[in-house]
Amino acid sequence: MATINPVVMDENSLQPFFVLHKGKQPPRKTFGKSKRRIDLSPKVPQKSNHGTEENLDCHEMCLQNFHFIWSKFEVIIKDFLRNINADVFEKIDCWICESFDAISSCKVSDPTQVTSSYPLLLPAIHHASSNQLFTGLVCTKNVEFVDDILTFKDLAQHLKSCGYHVGNLSSLDFSEKNGISGCLRNLLRQFLTVSIDAADISILASWYYEQDSYKNPIIVIIDGVERCCESVLSDFIMLLSEWAVKIPIIMIMGVTTTVDALRDILPSRTLQYLLPSQFVLESPTERMDTVLASVLIKHGTCFCLGHEVANFLRNYFLRQDGTLTSFIRALKMACVQHFILDPSGPANSGFQDKKYPHDLSYGAIALLQGRIIKQAFGLPSNLRNNQVEPDGDIGHDLSEMQKQCNLWSSLVMCIYEAGKYHKATLLDLYCEVLDPELYKSRTSGDQVELEIGSLTSNSHCLLGLHPCLDKCGSICQSIHGLRDLPAMELCQLLIKWGKLTEGISEVHEKIKELQSLVRSEDSVHLTKQPIDMSKRRTTRGNLNVEKDTTKLNEKAARLAACMVRKYVLPIECIPLHEVICFKNVDKLQSVLMGDPRTRIQIDLLESQKFLKCGCCRKSGSVSWPSLHDTSIMYCLAQEHGDLINLHDWFQSFKATIYQSSVRTKNRLKQSPSPKKRKSSGEPQKISEACIQARFCRAISELQITGLLRMPSKRRPDFVQRVAFGV
Amino acid sequence: MEPNEIEEDEFGFSRNYFLSKELGNSGKKSGRKLADIDIVEEQELREAMANMEQKHEKEIDELIKSYKSLYQEWVCELRCGFGLLMYGFGSKRTLLEDFATTALTEHSVVVINGYLQSINLKQVVITLAELLWDQVKTQQKTTSRSLVKDQQPFNTRSVDDLIAFLDGKNQDDSESFVCVLVHNIDGPGLRDSDTQQYLARIAACSNIRMVASIDHVNALLLWDKKMVHTQFNWYWHHVPTFAPYKVEAMFLPLILAQGGNSQNVKTATIVLQSLTPNAQSIFKALAEHQLAHPDEEGMPVNNLYTICRERFLVSSQITLNSHLTEFKDHELVKTRRDSDGQDCLYIPIPNEALEKIIKDISQ
Repeated sequence: MATINPVVMDENSLQPFFVLHKGKQPPRKTFGKSKRRIDLSPKVPQKSNHGTEENLDCHEMCLQNFHFIWSKFEVIIKDFLRNINADVFEKIDCWICESFDAISSCKVSDPTQVTSSYPLLLPAIHHASSNQLFTGLVCTKNVEFVDDILTFKDLAQHLKSCGYHVGNLSSLDFSEKNGISGCLRNLLRQFLTVSIDAADISILASWYYEQDSYKNPIIVIIDGVERCCESVLSDFIMLLSEWAVKIPIIMIMGVTTTVDALRDILPSRTLQYLLPSQFVLESPTERMDTVLASVLIKHGTCFCLGHEVANFLRNYFLRQDGTLTSFIRALKMACVQHFILDPSGPANSGFQDKKYPHDLSYGAIALLQGRIIKQAFGLPSNLRNNQVEPDGDIGHDLSEMQKQCNLWSSLVMCIYEAGKYHKATLLDLYCEVLDPELYKSRTSGDQVELEIGSLTSNSHCLLGLHPCLDKCGSICQSIHGLRDLPAMELCQLLIKWGKLTEGISEVHEKIKELQSLVRSEDSVHLTKQPIDMSKRRTTRGNLNVEKDTTKLNEKAARLAACMVRKYVLPIECIPLHEVICFKNVDKLQSVLMGDPRTRIQIDLLESQKFLKCGCCRKSGSVSWPSLHDTSIMYCLAQEHGDLINLHDWFQSFKATIYQSSVRTKNRLKQSPSPKKRKSSGEPQKISEACIQARFCRAISELQITGLLRMPSKRRPDFVQRVAFGV
Repeated sequence: MEPNEIEEDEFGFSRNYFLSKELGNSGKKSGRKLADIDIVEEQELREAMANMEQKHEKEIDELIKSYKSLYQEWVCELRCGFGLLMYGFGSKRTLLEDFATTALTEHSVVVINGYLQSINLKQVVITLAELLWDQVKTQQKTTSRSLVKDQQPFNTRSVDDLIAFLDGKNQDDSESFVCVLVHNIDGPGLRDSDTQQYLARIAACSNIRMVASIDHVNALLLWDKKMVHTQFNWYWHHVPTFAPYKVEAMFLPLILAQGGNSQNVKTATIVLQSLTPNAQSIFKALAEHQLAHPDEEGMPVNNLYTICRERFLVSSQITLNSHLTEFKDHELVKTRRDSDGQDCLYIPIPNEALEKIIKDISQ
């Protein structure tokens, strides 16, 4: 029985919803034209009007920078993700063409028959196969369907561009509540672009014949069949198969596990209507590496992550969330933080007190956008004094930094290419190259060289076990792996390295040298090969060739080690890296995933820290009576087991509250300071009703937070604790 | 987080759980009853609650004010396409509405009170569509373009259409949006999964931004990864306010009033008053019997039927049964077996309270 407390409420609070206000003016357009967009109330503490305007202008600039960079990243990510699937999409396209040809051969030629009811008079030979549906099973190799939403959207777009009629259905459409009519209605809405109340497939048929008349098939894409309601999906397939003679429908289904999954979902009588073909997408790890390479490494000169942030994201991806979508989302948040909200940014701070001038990052971005820093931002004159050489040119320093970043990203890609032969993931490698500690240990004792020198080609097993090597795993493995690389692959790798390091004089020449060595050896091979081809493995000459290749491998490994040691220094060791590097891991973590379970409990257990009052102190488990009531209650609850006796709880709450009047009296006797007296208030006789009301309020509040389960009929005098430990 | 830390956390959690279990079982479980507390009259309790002085009022005000410096940041996050999710202990109604009225003046704002019991989301979507339409119209006027005509009224359109409209590329400026402010998106009126899916679809629209608050520690369980990452796109903010949950707790029963007699008397009287005089008389007959025979388990149905027939209250067993069903539905009457194994009717209300009820309905 719901009861309403006699609290004075404003009218709106009891409305299920209401319009708070209408937009006062159409939002101003583009940013960056020194227009203010954010209308803050005058209550916001502002130093001066002038300062605020400047601040807001900066904010607009920051937003512009963010949008500039992020839209670029977004396009890159989308392109790369599309490209990674391009081959599969092409295959699907070919398969559709073939399937459509097959369907066309037994089509219904008479348009009047199309909307007529069954039975159709078809030639007997056609009938058996004509109600089977060509079904493409796209295996996503990813349980997290959220990553594949985009893939299926892309696939739909790709197929639409080929001229097919494409309809997308998701597993949500195949719910028991929606039923088959819901699916049909959704399909009709997509094809006919108007919503139709009647869910009748004959409407689709007549639309198809008006529109197309057997020039192109209809493709129905269902992502994630495993999550569909089995009976609805089965009915839907049966329905389509009945109409397969009249409308050329080809189905594409996304399966996350294996193609056999369909067997578990659908009854055999439905399965017999499907003519399946299989397509396999890239795994999430491969896609992750692609995104990482495209955004953070190849475009590392615009934005990059600090080691801690990278490590956090790696763990978040591998151990917690596992979706590329959330990784990209986290990247976007990091970008927002870095470009707009970073405390060292102009939007939030003055020009002083910062180690690095606040608008450097904007300066760097402006540089990227082809602007001249000084003109665009009028850098304060003290810019150079802090960290750049007194007479140096900031533009020059920044471009030096960019150069170094370019070198860095090329070389990281080189090592990744080498690591690919040993299934090294870029994510691991990325975290490793960013680690300043590892870098120090690498450079201090020439560790890389030592490790490489000490490892024989037969000591693979050591790599995973040796703690020291495990610690610098990916880089070492990649470099060490070069020693075992067959000549052909080494040759290909060197070509890739050559391409990656184009324009980087520091290493390109050396790679060229190696390439020429390979070429000369190749020619030696070629001249030798015809002579002793048959005895290839036994001749002494060939042993020499192998020896030479090993030598080459050795050289390549040494070159890689040298590259790593000399040029692959963590971003955080590059001067002015703050311009492009986001390092605030705590902030990112807090905005990416809140932790209500822990934080709400901490709020309650340590309320005095948030309220910053002078009156509350808490020592050990003893609650101070002036604490927030709900706080007192929750602290007291910690002393109970999983069940709390309401009577006991009330008594201890009451005791804590009464304690206040006793203590205050005592304290007043001891220290008659007027300040203290004021803060703690005059001890008043607290009425029983008041205490009970406070107790009720606190319990209601704990109930709202979900930290309590209310008394059940079986246990009317007990509440149940829900959380144990923060 | 390092793996060791995770393991430690998990270990810590289970240890705490078992320790608390042990604490609950090993020590003698307190058998004291809630009724042992000398509970004041409900009326008095509610009055006390209404007049309750708030602790740390000044500090709470300061705390809420301190978040004002973050408003600009929050607007930026909205403009970057994120939704804002506020959590932490304390009512966030005042804070969020203040944020919307001061920092989102350029955008229309619709508030949904998720703490209420039932919310018609279709109406919300219609309102959103109307607001957006207004914005589009103003914009088209300012850019002196012809208005789109033949606009079908929004309240006759289907939800899919409305959502498609909200998601459409209506605006030249991608940053023009209508803001939906949801108090307690984890509240009782919005907690079911269909509603959450619906909200997620609204949040994912290109012309909508959502600002929401949660209070429940397990609110995260409402959403799957698709909703969190692609639709709501939450940007989390921990903003404890310690402000009392006045409105939010409005519909929760008071723990000390719930079991109290006064509450029962009040609700029983209301229910009985809404029934026919005959039904009231039947209840009275049963009550009189119960008051006259306080030691008995209850009144056998047949006896009640005989009495009611004698008093011309019912004409058949069926009529009596329909009245009894009504009573049982409202928990005014219950059945139990007496020592002879006979089903007996009784009123689960203490005798003093019952006397008061009889007095009240006889007036």
